[in-house]
Amino acid sequence: MGALLGNVLEHYVMLAGVLFTIGAVGFLVRRNVLVQLMSIELMLNAVNLAFVAYNRVHGDDMNGHMFVFFIIAVAAAEVAVGLAIVLSFYRLTGSVHSDDADALKG
Amino acid sequence: MDLVIALSPLLAVGFGGLMLMLAEAFGKPSEEGISKTTGDVVDAGAGRGAELGLGASVVLIAGAVMAVGVWIVGPETLEGVADVAPYLLIDRFSLFFTFVLCLGGAFTALLGGGYLPEHRIDRSEFFPLVLFSTFGAIALAMSGDLLSLFVGLETMSLGVYCLIGLRRGSARATEAALKYFLLGSFAAALTLFGAALLYGATGHTDLVGIGEAVATIGQPDSTVAAMPVLLALALTLAGLGFKVAAVPFHQWTPDAYEGAPTPATAFMAAVVKTAAFAILLRVLLVGFGEERLMSWGTGWPPVIATLAVLSMTVGNVVAGRQESVKRMLAYSSIAHAGVALVGVAATIRSTEDATASVLFYLLVYTVSTAGAFGALILCGSRGAEAVSYEDLAGIAKRHPAAALAFSLFLLSLAGFPPTAGFFGKLYVFQSAIDSELYVLVIIGLVNSLIGAYYYVRVMVYMYMREPVPGAPVAKPMSSGMVTSAIVLAALLVLGLGILPGVSLDMAIAAAARGG
Repeated sequence: MGALLGNVLEHYVMLAGVLFTIGAVGFLVRRNVLVQLMSIELMLNAVNLAFVAYNRVHGDDMNGHMFVFFIIAVAAAEVAVGLAIVLSFYRLTGSVHSDDADALKG
Repeated sequence: MDLVIALSPLLAVGFGGLMLMLAEAFGKPSEEGISKTTGDVVDAGAGRGAELGLGASVVLIAGAVMAVGVWIVGPETLEGVADVAPYLLIDRFSLFFTFVLCLGGAFTALLGGGYLPEHRIDRSEFFPLVLFSTFGAIALAMSGDLLSLFVGLETMSLGVYCLIGLRRGSARATEAALKYFLLGSFAAALTLFGAALLYGATGHTDLVGIGEAVATIGQPDSTVAAMPVLLALALTLAGLGFKVAAVPFHQWTPDAYEGAPTPATAFMAAVVKTAAFAILLRVLLVGFGEERLMSWGTGWPPVIATLAVLSMTVGNVVAGRQESVKRMLAYSSIAHAGVALVGVAATIRSTEDATASVLFYLLVYTVSTAGAFGALILCGSRGAEAVSYEDLAGIAKRHPAAALAFSLFLLSLAGFPPTAGFFGKLYVFQSAIDSELYVLVIIGLVNSLIGAYYYVRVMVYMYMREPVPGAPVAKPMSSGMVTSAIVLAALLVLGLGILPGVSLDMAIAAAARGG
């Protein structure tokens, strides 16, 4: 692996960091539950990108790639449960805004 | 074959869950079930809460017994255990947690078997979900690799999201599920980014490899950069902080605990918290167990100590101001996470003793909190649930046994002798003194006093107040399953309180192998 690839790795990791930050900020500032779900997906994909990029450096095993497959599969399951909850919430309140989730307080 | 024996608790719980799904799918709906189910869907297992609950609790108790069996045989004598390492580590540390988690799951199943039919939410998917979620929790406690950590964490959490939202017609339950889901997924994403950074910095995903690579930081020939490792440590702590409900990552806790069906609340308080502490200990002691990272000046102990102080103080102070008993128990669970974190912080000097004290504390807390939620379930019935302090006024006259059991669990949570809670707190604070964390101990003791106020307040209402005329009061339900769960929990609370020796020795043996 030459110096060029080292630089390329840095770029990929920085991109992953930026995507992850955008996702985290989006999750925290947006109040639409669907957008928050998308932000979480963005964060997970940033993680995937980081894993694949790092796997180029630690090329003697496939742990990074393996991790990515697991993240993709689990993220799909997570979204299935999440959308079901959002749908249920929408049916009951007619809203997909997390500000409207205010029945529980104390 | 050895491997099958070693993995038997995990396999039993997993196969049990699949079997219950089949039983649910192919079972005939009972006549009673159809008339009872108020949801829009009548599923085949509806109205069979009692049978399925019994089945699930038998499976989980079998899992606990198998964990004891593997413990007696000795996991180190079983060949084949090395084949699944580092993804699943079968040592005494994970076996101890397997036992505690199965016990917590069995309490949940028994409570669910009584609660769900009573409150007309007799949806039979509850029990397979409890089993799958416990399966994830056991896998999480056994994991020695970031990959199985992630998969175990998500398997556990996905089941819990569904358990909370079980009452689909209730806006409160759905809201609770939504809040827990959003924050839980966010926390999982944080943990994952930490995992990616650790992999990038060290080239390992197994905790032992990470620990060895982290130990080389600062040496002249080291290729491991310090910054990504520290960032990963912070992200991992934040992610696991959400799961153990430590302040400041606790915002979801009271809402999720209050909105969820009470057996699911007991599951979150007992099983999810215990499993999260198991992996927190493993990650900190194995992955970040290097000398400098474990020292007060340059590592994670001050962070853990801060979380502990905040959790104890905020949990206890806010719990005292609650009017809902369920919400009070939610804040109390935050405070108990703080006490357990004192034990985690105490691992800096007397590592094994402190780890053992955390293990023992989690066992005691699981039994006490499951019992307390069970007693809360027993005190209420459909249309007359026990929610606020006022609901419980004078219940000692109407149902002395339920009030007595509730008092026992509250005393254990508050840490009065001769209950188990007393020894749990004693050992944690003892190990903190051994590690010279005197300030933490003093703050913990002051918090125990604050905590006693709101636990005793429940007992004052139960024994000394009369209900206001005309106000709604809780009518106790009758359920053999809830009663048996409470009797089992009460025996354990008293047994661990009077004879803590055996289980403490087991905790010490577990800490010696796994820490």
